[in-house]
Amino acid sequence: MIERQTIETDILIIGGGTAGCMAAVEARERFPQYKVTILEKAHIDRSGCLAGGMNAINAYLNKGETPESFVRYVRSDSCGLIREDLVQSMSELFEYCVKKVEKWGLPVLCDDNGDYIPRGRWNIKINGESLKPILAKAARSAKAKVYNWIVVTNLLTEGDRVVGAVGFSLRNGKFYVVRAKAVLIATGGAAGLYRPNNAGDASHKTWYSPYNTGAGYAMGIRAGAEMTSYEMRYVAIRTKDAIAPTGTIALGAGAPQVNSKGERFMVTRYADIGGDGAPTPYRAHGPIQEIKEGRGPVYLDTRGITPEKVTDLKKAYLDMYPSQVLYWLANDIDPGKEPVEIQTTEPYIVGGHCQAGYWVDNERRTTLKGLYAAGDVAGGAPFKFVSGCWSEGVIAARTMGKDLSQEGLAQMEATSVPESQVDQEETRAFYPFKNHEQGKFGVQAAELESRLQKIMEQYAGGASTHYEMNEEMLKIARKKLSTLPGEIDDLVAADLHQLMKAHEVIDRIDVAQVLVEHMAYRRETRWPTYHTRTDYPERDDANWLKFVNSVKNTKSGEIEMMTRPYEQMVSGDRYQPGKKPGS
Amino acid sequence: MPVWIDPDICNGCNNSRQPPCLRMCPGDLIVKDHSTNKAQLKYPEDCWDCLPCVKACPIEAIEFHLSYQFGSRGAKLQPRIHKGRDFITWDAEDIKGKKESFTIRTKVMKIALDETIEDGSEGLDFSI
Repeated sequence: MIERQTIETDILIIGGGTAGCMAAVEARERFPQYKVTILEKAHIDRSGCLAGGMNAINAYLNKGETPESFVRYVRSDSCGLIREDLVQSMSELFEYCVKKVEKWGLPVLCDDNGDYIPRGRWNIKINGESLKPILAKAARSAKAKVYNWIVVTNLLTEGDRVVGAVGFSLRNGKFYVVRAKAVLIATGGAAGLYRPNNAGDASHKTWYSPYNTGAGYAMGIRAGAEMTSYEMRYVAIRTKDAIAPTGTIALGAGAPQVNSKGERFMVTRYADIGGDGAPTPYRAHGPIQEIKEGRGPVYLDTRGITPEKVTDLKKAYLDMYPSQVLYWLANDIDPGKEPVEIQTTEPYIVGGHCQAGYWVDNERRTTLKGLYAAGDVAGGAPFKFVSGCWSEGVIAARTMGKDLSQEGLAQMEATSVPESQVDQEETRAFYPFKNHEQGKFGVQAAELESRLQKIMEQYAGGASTHYEMNEEMLKIARKKLSTLPGEIDDLVAADLHQLMKAHEVIDRIDVAQVLVEHMAYRRETRWPTYHTRTDYPERDDANWLKFVNSVKNTKSGEIEMMTRPYEQMVSGDRYQPGKKPGS
Repeated sequence: MPVWIDPDICNGCNNSRQPPCLRMCPGDLIVKDHSTNKAQLKYPEDCWDCLPCVKACPIEAIEFHLSYQFGSRGAKLQPRIHKGRDFITWDAEDIKGKKESFTIRTKVMKIALDETIEDGSEGLDFSI
């Protein structure tokens, strides 16, 4: 018999990360009359993407920049197609958010005049080793009620309205039923869809948090929410093996990419689209072509930087990615004397770098009533990084408060979800236990994960095919994936940790199926490497300057594809990054 | 193995049911064996190398290692949090034995030795 814990709240935030913590604070400050509850899969102090720390805020309007100049830059960096309304509205709040977190104790590096020190056009330097505990403390101080170690398995719905969520505790094994008047989904993106770069005890040495497994996408897909732009996957360019961020070197030390012959290939081969400043997908695509065509390895050329710069580099990595420094120590590498080799990662789905996620309005409402989205799980607005996720948390919190007041929902009794739905969800949450208890031979989560990753790697544009795909490959991927939902019935779990792993792979299968449909639907190559279609290798503005969206029909289970128009709000050539105003 | 909890040093944070390393791991990978009163990394293959566990240990019992496939053992990198909790010093040693230290500004929050399960905001013991 599984013990049930029922919680009633006004605002439920699923995921206590970058967006979720900021949303909790904003909601409590602006609408102190509402109860705010956070369900967090790990411990809020060190969960998700920020667990290790951050050394920069990479989306900030430095002196002279405006929301419009930011939109122009992000639009060209995303090859001419973004939701300009979303990108503009988040950029308007960068300063508000950063100043707030600075006040909470985040060290932001300032010059003698007290101005933030830029690290590139849109970046400022921070000492963000403790960024996550700082955010968590702010959420707790604002009296958001935090439940740690709750694995949320599904949303609760009544008619077309989302009225809460269910999940289980990794610690006490209880089934949690949370009824809420507004639900914010802020669970982050999805890692683990593709085979990771490394094997063995480094298989989770990934760029994106391996614990972000697409839960938020998956529960929205299952509830029939409209999703956008999954086909704009993210492939990160990172240091070789350590998988540490390269911006720290490229922006921090001004090191260009070179191939094995020392050629600055971005400058020689991609001059027409900006050379070293080419859009981000091309900066991953360029090195891959060098390696594919036999001119690898590819490096960031750090040779000749001063010993002081080397120390600064090491310090910057210690604030967010210490294993890069340990890697240099263990391999006798001095980045001032030899160049730093780089590589690309497996593809991820992440709305904070690219634009895969929930289709939201400018107030961050999803297409389901009562459900809002912010951060990496929300679509249409790339280049969010940390500060954009904060902005979206703020916007969503303001909208939820406004909607609760206007719709008179705050006065309403918590909706009563039929007990039969809750019972069904409980069965769904715990069935891998039952399979184990019944001695079923079954399938382990890790086995199903490797099957999923093999399909995605080989037929859906994995690293081993240089991220390339075509119609035939995607058809095979679709067919092979279609067998997996039947397999999940056989998952076995002996303990709560394994039960979490089982749900993580269930979620990733739902996300992978939608991803393949998106990649098959967009018949052009707008974002090379993120979505390289060898059968449609060119960008095609005449037919594809629009968003590819999907809804999984909750009755038939079919993934229905559709398009939504692009709207240009900010003037200018969509493929030009624009200049700093006044320069 | 990316991090290693030295069983000779680990004291299980006394009677803590949920010691800091176990709570701060974002992947739920560390467990405490209450019979031996020691914590251990149960799922090394799922470790992200993010190091909150290392920084949270009040008695510096957790060593940061590199997976062997990435390079030889012998290099060391360990963080020390200053008493004022506003600086962190990383002591580094390369495989040739050359030592170097890096001190960086930060703001390290206090971590309770134990915590109730449902709610992180009540009943904390900050007596490190």
